[in-house]
Amino acid sequence: MSWFSRAANALGGGRLDKELDEEMRFHMEARAEELMRDGSSPTEAQREAQRRLGNSLAYREESRDARLAGWLESLGKDARFGVRILWKDRVVTLAAILSLALAIGACAAAFALIDALILRPLPVDQPDRLVYLAYEEGRPVPAIAFSYPMLERLRAVSGGRADLFAASGQYLNSAVFKSEPEKVRAEFVSGNFFSVLGLGPEIGRVLTTNDDLTPGGGPVAVLSHNFWMRRFGGSRAAVGQWFRFAGKRFQIVGVARRGFTGIEPGTLTDFWIPQTMSSAESLQRWEMQWFRIFGRLKPGVTAAQAALAFQAAFTNTRREWAPLAFGANDAPEFKQRFLNAKLVLRPGASGTSNLRQAFARPMWILAVVAALVLLIACSNLANLFTARAMAREREMALRISIGAGRPRLLQQVLIEGALLAALACVLGLSFGAVAAPAIVGMLGSSQNPAYLDLHVGWRMILFTALSGLAAMVLFALVPALRASGTAPQEALKSGGAKHSGRSAMLRPMLAAQVAFSFMVLFAGGMFLFSFQKLVNVDLGFARNGVALVSLTASNKVQDAHLYMTQLIDRVRAVPGVRSAGISAYGLFADGRWTDTVRLAGRPPETAESVILPITPGYLGTMGIRLLAGRDLTVEDVMKQSSSVLVNEAFARHYFPGEDPIGRQFFRPLSNLPDSDFHDANRLGIPQQIVGLVRDVHYDSVREPAPPTYYIPLAQTWYASLAVRTDDPLRVISLVREAVRGFGHSLQASEVRLQSTLVNDDLIRERLLAILSGFFALVAVVLAAVGLYGVLSYSVARRTREIGIRVALGARCGAVVRLVVTEAAVVIAVGLAAGVCGGKLLAGSVGKLLYEVKPTDVASIAFPVGCLLAAAALAAVRPAMRAAGVDPSVALREE
Amino acid sequence: MKRTDALQGSLPMLVLKILNRRGPLHGYGITSHIEKISDDVLRVEEGSLYPALHRMEEGGWIKAKWVTTENNRRARVYEITAAGRKQLEAEEGRWRAVTAAVDQVLQQA
Repeated sequence: MSWFSRAANALGGGRLDKELDEEMRFHMEARAEELMRDGSSPTEAQREAQRRLGNSLAYREESRDARLAGWLESLGKDARFGVRILWKDRVVTLAAILSLALAIGACAAAFALIDALILRPLPVDQPDRLVYLAYEEGRPVPAIAFSYPMLERLRAVSGGRADLFAASGQYLNSAVFKSEPEKVRAEFVSGNFFSVLGLGPEIGRVLTTNDDLTPGGGPVAVLSHNFWMRRFGGSRAAVGQWFRFAGKRFQIVGVARRGFTGIEPGTLTDFWIPQTMSSAESLQRWEMQWFRIFGRLKPGVTAAQAALAFQAAFTNTRREWAPLAFGANDAPEFKQRFLNAKLVLRPGASGTSNLRQAFARPMWILAVVAALVLLIACSNLANLFTARAMAREREMALRISIGAGRPRLLQQVLIEGALLAALACVLGLSFGAVAAPAIVGMLGSSQNPAYLDLHVGWRMILFTALSGLAAMVLFALVPALRASGTAPQEALKSGGAKHSGRSAMLRPMLAAQVAFSFMVLFAGGMFLFSFQKLVNVDLGFARNGVALVSLTASNKVQDAHLYMTQLIDRVRAVPGVRSAGISAYGLFADGRWTDTVRLAGRPPETAESVILPITPGYLGTMGIRLLAGRDLTVEDVMKQSSSVLVNEAFARHYFPGEDPIGRQFFRPLSNLPDSDFHDANRLGIPQQIVGLVRDVHYDSVREPAPPTYYIPLAQTWYASLAVRTDDPLRVISLVREAVRGFGHSLQASEVRLQSTLVNDDLIRERLLAILSGFFALVAVVLAAVGLYGVLSYSVARRTREIGIRVALGARCGAVVRLVVTEAAVVIAVGLAAGVCGGKLLAGSVGKLLYEVKPTDVASIAFPVGCLLAAAALAAVRPAMRAAGVDPSVALREE
Repeated sequence: MKRTDALQGSLPMLVLKILNRRGPLHGYGITSHIEKISDDVLRVEEGSLYPALHRMEEGGWIKAKWVTTENNRRARVYEITAAGRKQLEAEEGRWRAVTAAVDQVLQQA
């Protein structure tokens, strides 16, 4: 009929209809009975009763409309009343909405990040059937990189159990589409990548198994939708175009379905190319492990069953390879570990992600902290609502006594809460939608920006709405239940004389708030201290004022160290350059080359050392101090002498308590066909220690310097030129000019600042410190506001009592003590509870800390100190007001 | 609507009056009371009572609950509220004023 009827049905109005029917049926039966008593026959009575009742259906409709209209009208009335009440106290309301919005927004942002990084499955067909292969080799993190020969072996046994496909990590390289080279992210994948994932093309076609049949046989590329829009503006003409990438030509054959950004959350892939387009070497060498293997389990096959079959093939293959991998001078443990590696199939519904590995725990911790902030905001609002409910007790009592039902009063208070929560949700959602991408921006390093799909979808909206609802239940429902439970006689009679008993309701709330604030401050403080310690770590080199220029030798790799040495002389001549030197890898930049070393007369070692080839001038440029002996010389490099420098950690490990200078050790032989790899009598390449240098953090601020030795720069195709200068911007173009002088044999690509690279290593710690520090600030402000509110309220309600006390001769100090003691007890209880809560956090937080422990005095003293300071600040005004109570005024007031 | 037009406007007042004097009653009870007291002059189409009752309930003048009668049937019983008594007072006052005024006009015209 009308929209009422629809609303009625929507609200489960069937019950209402049944009730109305029942009521009228009762009426008719009663009438019929009476008529029969007066002598009518049953049929007659029935008919007459029906006639007198009239059109019962129409009346039923009318009744239902009346009752629903009443409800809707009361809802509207309450909403208007709620708005009026909120508006009357607009400053308080605004503060309440803002604090709640901030907390809800923080939760929404945390949810958006966790959802995108961890929870949300890949947008592919049946993601829950996907697995990825990993093997445990006694390292803290299982390995997930496999070689092409291994993939072939595993595929051979996969039939009927799973469809395996490979996906490399991202290759950041330049591609030439028209003329200018541009940085792109490409992924090598097997031909069945798209078909197994169940992904079709947006336009053109996707890769097929025909594309990776023969090495070099499938020069085709499929663009991601994102890259297609970004680079080609979504033009269909992109399909069919050719481009150069990594020295090969590729043709674009299609665009992958929109929304699919790759199999690794946290990064964007620009295009996918067949695995067989990788170098011939990478398809033949067993030790070149360069991609991950995923699989889709066949129906009815469990991951454990499939793993069992793969394990056998995996171990057998490794047994074949072991002689190639381990020589006579390798410690037997290595071989054992290699053969005992356990293969596992892990759920791959949301892909694999380095970003997730690094940030899953920090994200969860921040989410917990955000949730705590929400609880703090909620307890503030609950205080506000309780205080208001008390102030309105008489109003409520009056309304009950004139016949308003409890549900009606409940509805009224709840509607106020709902209005507040709804506004906070909308604000919070927009806040979260802005904050989440900003945080993603902080996750990426300067080299490798992070990407997460953070669109505000229904999952985020639903989450926000639910947190708003939960918040409302917490802050409005309890006060509402209390208010509607008011016994009218008492409230009207007592006129608010029982104040102290009632304000006791506020205390547990306040204590809870102090406890939650303690936890947030506890975590925030530790992250701040930890970050502070990391920033002040002495790295052993001077990070500021050094630029690293990446050098690539394109041909004559065997002579690269010769003209690189010449380059240094030319760079030194550039005005503005203080010093220059070359290393094969940049610190904190290019990864590490590690190997074991062998000492004459000692068994093979399992400990590994870092090996860094350098030129003279490198140590000085980096500010690495030579402690004893001499630096490497140009002759060492030219003649490829056996002179090496070792660091303190190396000396400590291999020559404890001795002078390392003049000592000898052996660098292992490689397993090249012509070397004496399996000859136990050849210990390796002899190295003479000529100098001792200071320990240097190689690629991590957190990890101490690894044992390291520096060898003369040898033939190489890549190196990093370190330039110390006060003005990198101006100098770098001149340095590039100098490199250009070498024509095609040497090219300068990226330029990075050493200080930036070090900062990139602390992304996680910086993120945690900034965000948890921010939350700690919010928590302490909210706690102070909450405490201030409750104390002021309690002083206001006790004005009479205080007046009497003062009139009876209580001193100012005693009155202040009255107020302060009340607060102190609540805070002490809250702090005690907070310490217990902090214990729960300590475990997972502790793992992310550097030289800070949850049990440190400072870790606990910081939150306690902050809260006490906030409490003292919050108590000043209420205490002064209490002290200033004039008994004559106070007693006359009521 | 029908022949009860005159009554429609004052039905709530009558209901309130009856509930105030007799205490809780179900719909049928209210109908019988009106008939009895008014000697069947004020006869309403009985069904029309219910929408009126429900409107009054929503207005907060009366409240209702389900009870089980002596012969084990469920009946909805209405009771006047404090707000209803106030309303009754006001309406009664207004009614008397109006009827008095109309009387006066009828006598003196």
